[in-house]
Amino acid sequence: MANSSRASVRTRSLSSVTGRLTVPERFGDAGQTYGALAALILIVLYNAFFTRNFLTEQALRVNLTQVATIVIVATGMTLVIATGGIDLSVGSLMAISGALAAIIFMSQRGPLDNALIGNTLAFVVPVLVAGAFGLFNGTLITAFRLQPIIATLVLFLAGRGIAQVMTNGELRTFRNPGFQYIGMGRPFGIPFQVILMLVIVAIVAWVMRSTTFGRYVLATGDNEAAARLAGVPIDRIKLAVYGINGLLAGIAGLIVIAINSSSDANQVGQLMELDAIAAVAVGGTPLTGGRATIVGTLIGALIIQLLRYTLLSHGVPDAAARVVIAGAIVLAVLLQRQRGT
Amino acid sequence: MDRELSRRHLLKLAAAGAGAAALSPRLVQRAWAQELPPLPKKDTYTVGFCQTGSNNPWRLAETKSMQDEAAKRGYKLIATDANEDTAKQIADVASVIAQRPDILIFPPRESGPLAPSVLQAKQAGIPVILIDRDVEHDVAMPGRDYITFIGSDFVDQGRRAAEWLIGATGGNARIIELEGTTGADPAIDRKQGFDELILGGSFKGTPVATPVAGMQILASQTGNFTRNEGRQVMETLLQAHPDVTAVYAHNDEMAIGAIAALEAAGRKPGQDVILVSIDGENDAIQAIVDGKLGATVESSPFFGPIAFDTMLKYANGEDLPDWVVVVDRFFDKSNAAEFVGKQY
Repeated sequence: MANSSRASVRTRSLSSVTGRLTVPERFGDAGQTYGALAALILIVLYNAFFTRNFLTEQALRVNLTQVATIVIVATGMTLVIATGGIDLSVGSLMAISGALAAIIFMSQRGPLDNALIGNTLAFVVPVLVAGAFGLFNGTLITAFRLQPIIATLVLFLAGRGIAQVMTNGELRTFRNPGFQYIGMGRPFGIPFQVILMLVIVAIVAWVMRSTTFGRYVLATGDNEAAARLAGVPIDRIKLAVYGINGLLAGIAGLIVIAINSSSDANQVGQLMELDAIAAVAVGGTPLTGGRATIVGTLIGALIIQLLRYTLLSHGVPDAAARVVIAGAIVLAVLLQRQRGT
Repeated sequence: MDRELSRRHLLKLAAAGAGAAALSPRLVQRAWAQELPPLPKKDTYTVGFCQTGSNNPWRLAETKSMQDEAAKRGYKLIATDANEDTAKQIADVASVIAQRPDILIFPPRESGPLAPSVLQAKQAGIPVILIDRDVEHDVAMPGRDYITFIGSDFVDQGRRAAEWLIGATGGNARIIELEGTTGADPAIDRKQGFDELILGGSFKGTPVATPVAGMQILASQTGNFTRNEGRQVMETLLQAHPDVTAVYAHNDEMAIGAIAALEAAGRKPGQDVILVSIDGENDAIQAIVDGKLGATVESSPFFGPIAFDTMLKYANGEDLPDWVVVVDRFFDKSNAAEFVGKQY
């Protein structure tokens, strides 16, 4: 390739990065967020009129608790997708985290016998381990230059196997109110995982909006080569987002086993990667990277959740419900494509 | 050894079919193709066992039952595990055939792809017994290509759950049904058996059951056989149908999920909502003892004894049906206490 043409590419990309760094894409993001928001309001209105007992505290609680784990995972997935990547391993990481937590607090050995120590470790260790597996994904992608979809396919397949080996493939059931607070606690009447979800969404939304890290994530996804030349530490940014995604998947795994009073390595997090990616896409984050809306992801997850709730409440058979949800996802992505061009 | 076996077949056929067989080579071929490989009477057998996977308690219990029973009888078990991969199970069956066991016993992971494996075993002169899942009969027929299929009657399991529920609620209930994975045989059959007793049904045009007037199915949705989805679907259906008084779940895991959903909504499972399910796993037995689950119909994973007994009957030349129906027990509050921790 001629030197001159490379130089011209370089300047164009550089200008696009600096443009992104100085002018936040508030308007583009806002448009997409409001598009999804309008859809969400429509579904809520439909339910308010046509679904029995929809405007009740209990219905709100059911929907928010059911959507919490998807939102938590999808928040991390938004960061990964913003860098132009994807993470298929989140469901398997949830299974590993869930399996490990149950092993820790159910083991009666040594200091683990103390409920406080056992439960604290059961919260901290599995989340850190899931984070470490996330870093492993990041390492495959940065050090070995594997494509994200292949790199994370490794743990998508192996991760569930690891969880199954840890539990011997057996379903473990338990009663542990201290640990299960993360899935069943209700401070001020609000389910604990809903509070956790809102805190995580708020923190990550702030990070993406107001920190250099957030800018770097977007720059990485927008034009990696240009961002690298502009001095963005691409590899560290990628490691960080896959690590964060692992941590969040770990937390979601703990919530799932806590609500169900059981850790089932075969089922925890099953198909979660697809739910999370769908929420991100419906929320308005393009899968090509470079742009991200965390609030949009929250709205996207709520849209899918409420669609499911509505179809189920009205007795629509599962097979038909899947088609409707798939149609909604296609529609959302199509609308965004038109807005982008 | 191959040649020896087929020669033995031909000799046997020649004796049985006499002159007719000698007239046409094609007839010999067809007759040979219809003969099941024999199983000699012996003190000990080498048994091939190709499991589909070990990723749930039921499968683990099934494998353990086979291993324990083989050890008890002093048989040698050649066991493989396909990790829920159909292609691997096909390869497993081929490799076990190459090790020439006396008999092959296995649950085919899928009814279509594993049917040729059954024929492959037959051609190698190894008789086959299928357990808990069957193959497609237009490819491989019980009694012709394999000895028999041993398994539970899922329709009957659904019927027994319905019978119990009608009795427990005095024939008055508003029911939510949590179905298994859409399209799975147990889900289809367990729904059919239950629904035909509650709503009335017919078999080939003749009514087999009359509807029970006071019994009504409010909603029937899939919970995918899992605790998590069973809970989530129940939470939602409970909002849409707060007047529910009974739950029928196609397996115990979903019933336990439904119990969690009812408790979270401030209901009292076992008192204001009566639950019945199928499987008979440890957690369900405990839930019956705790008064939360009403009853569960067993779907036995304990295939070891019945599989080896059936094998011996075949060796003794006894007539076997095409389908050996597994006798499933029934657990409710009258007997649950004695089975705590003894299931799987």
